[in-house]
Amino acid sequence: MDSAVWRFFAGRGAQYLLVLALTVALNFALPRMMPGSPLVFLAGEDVGFLDAEQRAQLYALHGLDQPRWRQFLTYVANLARGELGYSFQRGRPIAAMIGERLPWTLLLVGLSLVIATALGAALGALAAWRRGSAFDLGTLGVAVFFESAPPFWLGMILIAVFGAGLGWLPIFGAATAGQALAGWALLVDRARHLALPLATLTLINVPGTLLITRYSMLSVLGEQYIATARAKGVREQDVLRRHATRNALLPVATVFMLNLGYVASGATVVETVFSYPGVGRLLYEAVLNRDYPVLQGTFLIITVSVIAANIAADMLYPLLDPRVRRR
Amino acid sequence: MRALVLVLISALLVLCAPVPSPGQAASLRMAIGRDEGSLNPYTYQSGYPGWNLMTLIYEPLFAPDADNIPRPWLVRRYTVSPDGRTWTLALHPNIRWHDGRLLTADDVKFTYEYVRSHTHSRWTPQVRLIESIETSGATTLVMRLSAQSGGFLMQPLADLPILPRHIWEGVAEPRRFNDSTGSGPYRLAEMRDGQFYRLVANDAYFGGKPKVREITLPIVRDATVTFTALRAGEIDTTSRALSPELVAEFEKAGGLKVVRGAGYASTILQFNVEHPILKDVRLRQAIANAVNTRLMVRLLLLGYGVVGSPGYIHPDSPFYNPSVAFAASKSRAVQILNEAGYIDRDRDGIRETPDGRPLRFNLLTLAGNPIRVRGADLIRTWLRDVGIDARVVAQEDASIIAQVWPDFDVCKGRNFDMAVFGWSAPVMNRATNLRDLFHSDCRYGTINIGGYKNSEVDRLGNELAATAEPARQKRILYEMQKAIAADLPVHVLFYQDGIYAYRPERHDAWVYQKGQGIVNKLSFVDPPRR
Repeated sequence: MDSAVWRFFAGRGAQYLLVLALTVALNFALPRMMPGSPLVFLAGEDVGFLDAEQRAQLYALHGLDQPRWRQFLTYVANLARGELGYSFQRGRPIAAMIGERLPWTLLLVGLSLVIATALGAALGALAAWRRGSAFDLGTLGVAVFFESAPPFWLGMILIAVFGAGLGWLPIFGAATAGQALAGWALLVDRARHLALPLATLTLINVPGTLLITRYSMLSVLGEQYIATARAKGVREQDVLRRHATRNALLPVATVFMLNLGYVASGATVVETVFSYPGVGRLLYEAVLNRDYPVLQGTFLIITVSVIAANIAADMLYPLLDPRVRRR
Repeated sequence: MRALVLVLISALLVLCAPVPSPGQAASLRMAIGRDEGSLNPYTYQSGYPGWNLMTLIYEPLFAPDADNIPRPWLVRRYTVSPDGRTWTLALHPNIRWHDGRLLTADDVKFTYEYVRSHTHSRWTPQVRLIESIETSGATTLVMRLSAQSGGFLMQPLADLPILPRHIWEGVAEPRRFNDSTGSGPYRLAEMRDGQFYRLVANDAYFGGKPKVREITLPIVRDATVTFTALRAGEIDTTSRALSPELVAEFEKAGGLKVVRGAGYASTILQFNVEHPILKDVRLRQAIANAVNTRLMVRLLLLGYGVVGSPGYIHPDSPFYNPSVAFAASKSRAVQILNEAGYIDRDRDGIRETPDGRPLRFNLLTLAGNPIRVRGADLIRTWLRDVGIDARVVAQEDASIIAQVWPDFDVCKGRNFDMAVFGWSAPVMNRATNLRDLFHSDCRYGTINIGGYKNSEVDRLGNELAATAEPARQKRILYEMQKAIAADLPVHVLFYQDGIYAYRPERHDAWVYQKGQGIVNKLSFVDPPRR
């Protein structure tokens, strides 16, 4: 690699390090800026009956008696050693807690992102190609509907229809509680539990990609090289596939990469409605419980994965779009 | 292919099904609303159902019966000295930990000393009075108290679960310790954070055979989803109380049974008694008169509740003083305001104090609780009718606590006007409840969040705490209720009934514990024979 490339990556690297440092600081500050004390979650519900000495003991045990700047130094030092600490509420190592939740979230949100992107891109391209047709208008209407539907409400509707009404699918959890399954039965059980949250999340995410693809496709279809291709006598299908879609998908790829970074953050609302044991629900409960270490840990994981996705996008984009390649 | 899958699933189901013994229900799925740690004494989370579920695994020496009266459980016989300060307890001789070791007096002594040195918000304060504990042999121990206590039998004896010494000795940070070896009728067989718990009956239980072979506790975060799952048959019951608007539907639904009983949890209008204007008792009386609690019970609870008593105590409690009833009257409210000189002098619809300050207050309420939000809105409307301006501020729990009860420490003061607040059922059951609620010294009035001061109530409260005799406790509580009803530091709005729904075909031997509900030990095992 020549020095220009090096300079480029060194510059980017410095930028990302700065972002990381800022988020580490914010992760520490934000939870502590919320009103409310974590004491009840350190001690339990009857915290009111403790005397002053016992309260002080509890604060000291969790380092909360220290001045803020010292708490911050401890947090950074631990982080440097790769320690995320223990949950106030659950008393378990945070790395283990996130580790348990992450696979479920990656499965649910990751799969939904892939399906939603594929479906949205296909429908968006078709809609643009047949601009003004009944298909276009219908797709647009449905897309706008799901785009504005609150996830909570949509989840409830699916539960009422496919869970309670028809009885086809389970309505909560990621697996049948307390049943030891193996092989096919296990796969089927997981898939059945995944179906409704996945459908909710996908329905909500399709419109974004669909609308971007449609818009991007429309502008590509107006380009002169499309007219040229048609004039050359290229078949309409090939115009759409080889000339238009490939170029129209560039912004879709960008959005996909950005969303990829957020996969690890889970889907708080959908995970909560369906009692799905993902990172989003962990985060939501940590906010309610003022569980500072869990908040710090999850935010950190999310930040790192967003930055990683950005780096990946930076590196992939030149491959997708020759125009941004640098010499 | 599909047939093959089905065959495989059914084969697995048959293989995994627990085998109940005669007279025992096979399995039960009961949804709970949140994680309860490792269901051990230092990691369980909620007072209800967390404590109740935890006591299926770890057992206190006594256990409250269906009327909340403590009965011997691990203890077979006990005597109390005439001065009430020496308790001699004899344990059942054949109690075993889930790992097979014997539970002895030594474990009990260890536990009582452990919670003293390893702060637990519930039990560390309860064991303060204990001066010494001596064991003699494997089953006998003697506890000496520094003073007579009104609540010792209920707390800690019927409250603090016994820990196995051989496992907990040397555990320095109990809240990070996730062992679940207890002595109770159930063993924790499996646990998945955020997903479920699975309890299996302890075949070697000293007290007899548990009523259900296996209990699965899936965690279902959302209330609506929980009740949908119950209707759909995906669960057999839930620890969540049924909301009033669902009662009629569930009563009609096939395969479901609904039980209802007194609920000791209160919903109150809490005044900041130190507030420069609200410190006037006449103003508080006027507000209480303007609030139609009867209508509230009809509108918000659809009748499934009891109108609040101004002395705090629930009418079903043995300590309730029936002479302190309160009947609200709007005209009486107007009359009190006029007589006290709260007049709308500037004709803006809001009355002012004699020195010209408008009667304008913030009314805090819990955003996630529709009954409290609607309750606050009703109060706002009714107060507006009599010329008082209450602005409803709905916030989440931690934010409300930060204003009403900063750091959960009454000694740190308060920063609010009025709040729709509430106390859970155990507050009603504590023998010293009215002292905790209303003593002006924040060391004793640990939940006197309004900053109420009345020397007569303080005196009675101190007497109450040092009285073990029920008849005398009752007399003192009668007096206290009268004093509180006159001063109205809080206006008790209502007590919501506990309503629970379950599938009787799965398990029908539920016991409704007064004031609380169906999730308690008695629903799963009968008391041991002496």
